[in-house]
Amino acid sequence: MNGKFWKHVGLVTAVAGTALTLAACGNGSSNKDVKITILQGKVESNKQFKQIASEYEKAHPNVKIEVTSIGGGTQYDPVLKTRISSGNAPTIFSLDGPASLKQFKSHEADLSDTKAAKAAQPGTLDAVKSEGKTYGLPFNVEGYGFVYNKSVFKKAGIDPKSLTSYDKLDAAVKKLDSEKDKLGIKGVFALPGKEAWVMSDHLLNLYLSKEFDGNAQKLYKSQKMEFAKNAEMKQMLDLQSKYSIKPVMQMDYAAQVNQNFSQGKAAMIQQGDWIYPTVDQIDSKFAQKDIGMIPIPVKEQEGKLPVGTSIYWAVNKQKSNTEQKAAKDFLDWMYTSKEGKKNVVNKLHFVPAYKGYEGMKMSDPLTQVVFDYTNDHKTFGWAFPGYTGTPWDTTVAQPNLQKYLSGKQGWDKTVSNMTDGWASQQKSAQ
Amino acid sequence: MKNRSLSFWLFLTPTLVALALVVFIPMLEGLFYSFTDWDGLSFTKMVGFKNYITLLQDKAFVNAFWFTVAFVIVTVILLNVIGLGLALLVTQKFKGSNFLRAIFFMPNMIGGLILGFIWQFIFTQGFDALGSALHLSWLQNWLTNETTGFWGLVIVTVWQMSGYIMIIYIAYLQNIPNEVIEAAEIDGASPWQRFTKITFPMIAPAFTVCMFLTLSNGFKIYDQNLSLTNGGPYNSTQMLAMDIVNTAYNASNFSLAEAKAMVFFLIVAAISLVQVLYNRRREVDL
Repeated sequence: MNGKFWKHVGLVTAVAGTALTLAACGNGSSNKDVKITILQGKVESNKQFKQIASEYEKAHPNVKIEVTSIGGGTQYDPVLKTRISSGNAPTIFSLDGPASLKQFKSHEADLSDTKAAKAAQPGTLDAVKSEGKTYGLPFNVEGYGFVYNKSVFKKAGIDPKSLTSYDKLDAAVKKLDSEKDKLGIKGVFALPGKEAWVMSDHLLNLYLSKEFDGNAQKLYKSQKMEFAKNAEMKQMLDLQSKYSIKPVMQMDYAAQVNQNFSQGKAAMIQQGDWIYPTVDQIDSKFAQKDIGMIPIPVKEQEGKLPVGTSIYWAVNKQKSNTEQKAAKDFLDWMYTSKEGKKNVVNKLHFVPAYKGYEGMKMSDPLTQVVFDYTNDHKTFGWAFPGYTGTPWDTTVAQPNLQKYLSGKQGWDKTVSNMTDGWASQQKSAQ
Repeated sequence: MKNRSLSFWLFLTPTLVALALVVFIPMLEGLFYSFTDWDGLSFTKMVGFKNYITLLQDKAFVNAFWFTVAFVIVTVILLNVIGLGLALLVTQKFKGSNFLRAIFFMPNMIGGLILGFIWQFIFTQGFDALGSALHLSWLQNWLTNETTGFWGLVIVTVWQMSGYIMIIYIAYLQNIPNEVIEAAEIDGASPWQRFTKITFPMIAPAFTVCMFLTLSNGFKIYDQNLSLTNGGPYNSTQMLAMDIVNTAYNASNFSLAEAKAMVFFLIVAAISLVQVLYNRRREVDL
């Protein structure tokens, strides 16, 4: 194939594309019916999104919304790519960070002028900004820490709020461990060694966030990863692993949350507010009354909760202007109108990433914790979405951390593999 | 070859079209994309053999390759030995032999994904309980390192597929004419001689078929791998098919994944063809 041939193909496609866009614009007079399609990857909220869409349709009779949700075993990006290449691209789709921001660049409309973007909490748009423009709107914010069992801590006479430094945590863990039988627990922690992301995303972020100002975009673009706080991470990982229910390397998410924590066998686990529905399903009384969340103590970040966004909405700029406008209006309505806000909090159980929700009550104790820390500005950002879409995450960070955890590799080697791996990936991406 | 009439083509066309649509065209497309920087959506330039050079230096791919080769060698041997053994057992005349055939074949009717999850439970919970009851430490901590992950995969595959291989051997065993065996018996051949000198050569075509099936299946295995170990711990039990899928979908490196898939195809095709040609020559006709 010579270059000329592809040039021609490109030219023809471009011309055809322009013609189509022009034709579409011609049709789009203001009061006509408009249909927007949504493809989103939070499958657990499928029903709620559909309810919200139909509520919007009732209030705006000229708008039709079709919601498709993907998730469970299916990955989002391949499906979106298939839809785009088969000419069936959605009007609203989702992004999960800088890597997908770059990948779907040709389809992302500028959302800087939407009401929702203007109302977004400071920092929540950092990961989806490029050259001063905003291309994504956060679904929500989430936070993680140690989710703990209130009655176990009470029985042991420990106030979880007092565990503000590593030393205090260490002492409390040892006390809990020595009274295991009395407290009726199998272990202080339940560390899921099988779920590498629990270490590579959430734990690692605690010790990397500061280096990149909690900004995923900054990490994504950085040539270097210093990882100066690695000794602190080792300490925390060792503590969790040593006092965890064993065997650590056999434990997966279901074993950690469903079997151990929800049934009172672990005093605390490193997880986030997203586990609430799962705990609720197993023991709703326990979920409502008996669980809380505290920040994981990290030097210079004591008393702060890592809060961030894992999914953003994006609007397809290759659709007609009417359709884009309708999509933006819908997103604005969902996050900034009175009815929309109610749905976000009560139907979707989201912790809002936007201003204007002050004084509202969250639907469960864990999201309430995240909401309170956000309102008190006691948070720091998520830097890890800056690497989750890159090969480094699954081929370097995760296997190396698992190797360390199972005793196959020392910590220094693990750290150097990770930092070197990052440098070489960033170099070859140039 | 002469009677390629209209009806010949009429009957062949649907199959050819279907094959072309789902196999040949995608393959050519894949071959093309493996020389580009395709990201699953678009590509900006041709990169020549860059992807092929990258994959040779890709530790994960090389590791997956040797893991898969070891897995194939072990499962091909075990599957054929056990499959043939079961076939010989159930072709003996005794009560319940038909019942046993059904039992041995049954694992094959469960899908690989479900099977993987069931066995994951057996390995992690069942083995663990047994190990602590009998004080056998080697029964504990299964699937937490490369060795137990490997043998876990082997056990599941052999357990699932040997019934299927057995059925093929049964079919060929039953085709051996009784007169030949009887004649040998009259001539005073011992049971072992009858097996090695008559039965074994007579079922040589079954070997060709079974070797082909077990070989290509061993290379292409994905679902058991996914549900049993998901490549873990630390990607050490990741087989070729899984490495390719992960390169494409987790690391979003579609063109590299295409190149890997091409290499994968060439390996499987070459080994399977050599095997078939070699075994064909050993087959005997009556």
